[in-house]
Amino acid sequence: MEFQSCFDIIGPIMVGPSSSHTAGVVSIGKFIYEMLGDCPQEANIVFYDSFAETYQGHGTDKALLGGLLGMDTDDQRIKNSLELAKEYGMQYQFEFAEECEYYDHPNITIVTAKCGDYVVKVGGVSLGGGLSKIFLINDKMVDIRLSAGDDLKALARDYQSIEKEFMEAI
Amino acid sequence: MEIQSMRELIKACEKEQKTIGEMMLKMETEKSGRDKEIIIAMMEERLIKMKEAVDRGIKDDSAAPSGISGGDAVKMYDYMNQGKALSGNYISNAMAFSLATSENNARMGVIVATPTAGAAGILPGVLFSLHKNDGTPFKDLVMGLFTASMLGLVIANRSFISGAAGGCQAEVGSATAMAAGTIVELRGGTPEQAVNATAIAMKSLLGLVCDPVAGLVEVPCIKRNVIGTSIAFSAADMALAGIESQIPCDEVIGAMYRIGKDMPRTLRETALGGLATTETGKQVKERLFCRKS
Repeated sequence: MEFQSCFDIIGPIMVGPSSSHTAGVVSIGKFIYEMLGDCPQEANIVFYDSFAETYQGHGTDKALLGGLLGMDTDDQRIKNSLELAKEYGMQYQFEFAEECEYYDHPNITIVTAKCGDYVVKVGGVSLGGGLSKIFLINDKMVDIRLSAGDDLKALARDYQSIEKEFMEAI
Repeated sequence: MEIQSMRELIKACEKEQKTIGEMMLKMETEKSGRDKEIIIAMMEERLIKMKEAVDRGIKDDSAAPSGISGGDAVKMYDYMNQGKALSGNYISNAMAFSLATSENNARMGVIVATPTAGAAGILPGVLFSLHKNDGTPFKDLVMGLFTASMLGLVIANRSFISGAAGGCQAEVGSATAMAAGTIVELRGGTPEQAVNATAIAMKSLLGLVCDPVAGLVEVPCIKRNVIGTSIAFSAADMALAGIESQIPCDEVIGAMYRIGKDMPRTLRETALGGLATTETGKQVKERLFCRKS
């Protein structure tokens, strides 16, 4: 059961126009921002399938950059995030592909982001209604559910501590 | 407690003598560990944001950045206020409020996804129409949002709610089905009647493809939201009259899932088929985005 809470259905409070192509993508970007602890200096963003076909109409690119800049789904600055990212000195590029080899869904993005010495590769899927999921971090499959109103900072921190324990164990 | 089907939902409501909305509130309290009052306040916040979007949209006749939508909410509201609407106060008010919300969404304004942004006009449309026409208090509308989310949760977990996954039947279809059941509950119908309305509404939209012009959530999405409110009221009226869906709601949801799975990729929000590839649709796309296609 992917959908758990009444707020997965009623919500998020968000800027338009699409819950799956805008709001869900803001959360994926914001999760990466929280993982890095800051907005990345460089970001390579791959949009697959439906994202690749319709990103301009839905502002999917603005949504992802807004998230990477630390914005929430209802932040009215999202519509200006392409310019804001440049002002912040973020180097970004978008690539487009048909199908993703890691996960079967029409709404997928894989982002490689760099902040200082820290580089992460994160795969996210937007499931609809603003709900999304991180399924890949640095070539490892994960299952981190991102819902409206979740504390993404805490989720990213939890993941980092699990990862750290794992690294120390080996 | 997990509710995975409409059948289980009706049984649970009968057993505990609760409405569908009350059942959702109970489940949310148990699962989240939050106080009931906090959960109600969170839902209230969403209702207020919906009202703000309607109030802004009803007065705003500006065009969306694309230039292909905007201004229709004001037209519909004026027409309605002249008392000319053939479809009566309930439906014509819902149409205007739905246009207001969906146009606001296209302008990248703040809205509440119910369950998605593409279908965000339907629930506020019917809820604020009930408020205006029979004085349904806001506190009841908040409970109505719990009803809607319970119905939506069952649909989302058994099938899908996004156009990219299952076509517009999954998106406007699900929102319309949720709205129909919610109207029934707010008008004092039983959980069984609410689920019947949900089934009847969803059946009317089965097979609807997602074919947005230039990939924008505007054409035909905005007007499909409007029509969704009419279907929601018709389905609710049938259920309140005691009419049942011959196909049980869970089976209707199953049919929606299978139809969505059979739907080609070109008709699932990729803007590669249907209205998106009409002559006019292609021209709009070309005008807006000079890119590979």
